Amino acid sequence: MGLRRYTRMEYKSPDDIVFGKALYPVYERFGVQIGAGFVVPEIKVAPHAGTEKELKTFVEHHKQFTKEILDLCLQLGFKHIMIEQEHVFQQTWNKDYAYETAHAQVELAEKYYTEYGLGVTIRHTIGDIRKVEEPGGLREGEHARHMFEAFEACASAGVGDVAIETTGGKEILDWAVARGDVKGILFGIGVCGSEDMAWVWPQIVKIVTKYGTVPAGDTNCSGANTVMFLAGGLMDREVAHTVAAMARAIAGARSLVAVEAGALGPLKDCGYENPIIKAITGVPVCIECTSICACAHIDVMGNLNRAVGDVYSNESVDYHQEFGGSTAEVWTAVTGNAAALANVALQAGQEKTLRDLLTLSDKYRDPQGLILAYDNAYRIGKAITEYGKDPYLRAKYAAIEAGKIILEAYEAKKIALTRWELDSLNKALEIFNALPDDGEKFKEECIKEYYGKVPGFDPKNYGWAGK
Amino acid sequence: MREVGWAMVEGILAGMKPSVKEERIDFGKIHTRWNVVEEEKKLGLKPEDLVKDLMPTAEPFKSIAEAVFKGDATKVESLVNEAIKKIPAKELVDKALAPGMQAVTKLYEDGIYYLPQVMLAADAMQAGINVLEKATGGKLEKKGKVVMHVAEGDIHDLGKNLAKVFLIADGWEVVDLGRDVPVDEVVKAVEEHKPVMVTGTALMTTTMTAFPKIAQKLVEKGLNIPFVCGGGAVNEDFVQQFPLGIIGKKAHQAPKYAEAAAKKISWEEIRRRWHEIAPV
Repeated sequence: MGLRRYTRMEYKSPDDIVFGKALYPVYERFGVQIGAGFVVPEIKVAPHAGTEKELKTFVEHHKQFTKEILDLCLQLGFKHIMIEQEHVFQQTWNKDYAYETAHAQVELAEKYYTEYGLGVTIRHTIGDIRKVEEPGGLREGEHARHMFEAFEACASAGVGDVAIETTGGKEILDWAVARGDVKGILFGIGVCGSEDMAWVWPQIVKIVTKYGTVPAGDTNCSGANTVMFLAGGLMDREVAHTVAAMARAIAGARSLVAVEAGALGPLKDCGYENPIIKAITGVPVCIECTSICACAHIDVMGNLNRAVGDVYSNESVDYHQEFGGSTAEVWTAVTGNAAALANVALQAGQEKTLRDLLTLSDKYRDPQGLILAYDNAYRIGKAITEYGKDPYLRAKYAAIEAGKIILEAYEAKKIALTRWELDSLNKALEIFNALPDDGEKFKEECIKEYYGKVPGFDPKNYGWAGK
Repeated sequence: MREVGWAMVEGILAGMKPSVKEERIDFGKIHTRWNVVEEEKKLGLKPEDLVKDLMPTAEPFKSIAEAVFKGDATKVESLVNEAIKKIPAKELVDKALAPGMQAVTKLYEDGIYYLPQVMLAADAMQAGINVLEKATGGKLEKKGKVVMHVAEGDIHDLGKNLAKVFLIADGWEVVDLGRDVPVDEVVKAVEEHKPVMVTGTALMTTTMTAFPKIAQKLVEKGLNIPFVCGGGAVNEDFVQQFPLGIIGKKAHQAPKYAEAAAKKISWEEIRRRWHEIAPV
């Protein structure tokens, strides 16, 4: 199946982009519409350690916290909820674990929808458990086979949608980010990552649509989030935040491939690159930011992504008890109330006010927030669509556009940068600008440079002949 | 309320383009980029001057150490290739490669250098070590062994790989078992290699459950060495629930823990005093 490359923006103006509304809403089972004029809260619970030992205890645990979530929705008067399971290894590796947990959750979703009219959708995010180093690698390895089987298992159990965080190019990215090697970051995320997605995603779409399950989306959790996580807070000294922001822009060009292959959204939340992809494609997106996901991620973006999100996610929380209840209940309350505020703004016709306040609360706080502010995300989207047919070029120009945005804000004295951040930015721009515009040439150069040097990197994993 | 709201919208939207209204917001009163403030205090400092005492002054050690310090692997390789013709390998490690690396690590720990500088220096040092190992036909003397792994079912190995670099740079031999490593394989490696400590990393709550199992089996076999555990899901509460467990928060703590383990400081004491032994 061919990919539908985006060479123009679906949104005609950045000002049209707002939370809760997408150009192409998604309709899922059990009464949930996404991007159709209101924000849907999302809750993700990581099963408590030890429950995975036996299938029975694992399924019971899923039932328990799913029921807690649904009961809390009734208690607090919420109208919709998305419950997501990010697979633990056992769930993807063992299709019985995948099917049985999904089935148990779907049964509960149906029950609450039928009995109360509560809109409930279940998302299962399959783990990308593939290993570059095993025989067969990313494409033919045993883990790849199990991964696709898990998609089938979940779709056949009736989940509303499926997602994944593919890891293509991670071996290059990990190596490059620790060394501040921006060319490697571009190659790992922008080229290897895109190539891998172009292989994985048509298969996912084919498998799950047979069952009426929505193929939702993919994020660069293993790449741009790794960079952001390593970059850490303002006082950390691992990765320049300017470079982390450019990695995020590159991820925008990469994660777009899912939509090009037929993913419909809501795009997977971990990827902070979603504002860029929503601007390009008009599909709804899940988002997270510290104000609603501090249980899993704390970063320098407190509210910003809420400005354009259609689903508000807590990212993930370990199941345990807090004073307010179980973490499943506590974080359902957090995302549900954040969504309620957004929905009131939508009803009152004040959505753009709220959007802009959410944006400005973080826009000049850090380079990553700056480039993801919806007006700047739109600029990056335009750079991507201008070179839309070429995954390498669009990733390269996304990074350059992000760099320009940061420099402009710095020169306008809207954002302060350390010398290291500024030097890293200037050096990265110099490197990106000097790269060839010929994608094949760049790929060959990179294979020559990284094959044999970066552990685990094998061009065959990306469908390229070996050195 | 509505009027106020729309006035704000007007201002903000115009500000996005940008506008006077956006300029009315004093962002400095809302957030501070403390890294920028902190950097001001260090302006004018020359990193080389701060570690002058650590660096050798005699040649060829000086040039080699400086090349490591600058992360120039090609230069290190060529200088060491030349030097090994006249100087014993151990001397080149002790007087050139190690001091250059230690200088970089110190600047990193003092908050002056950044991770990429450490990694590039480590790569440069490793280039020198490779030359020496080839020349001597065997392994150079190391401070001791550390066994490292990523928990079974987990493929996230960046943290392990960073810690590994810090350990190698500090002169430790690392037995890297890779990622997705079964419990028994870790135990077997510890029995076989007799390391001063073992490390484990895990991103997920359901994979970190391998750690107590490993610890239990090590204890049963009388292998009471520190088991430093880190990674996204791992926290101090968790590692204190099983014997041997010690929290690993940052990659650069690894050599400090190894030093403590090599001095036979018990895992209980390391656990109790980790803030002091291996501060983050």
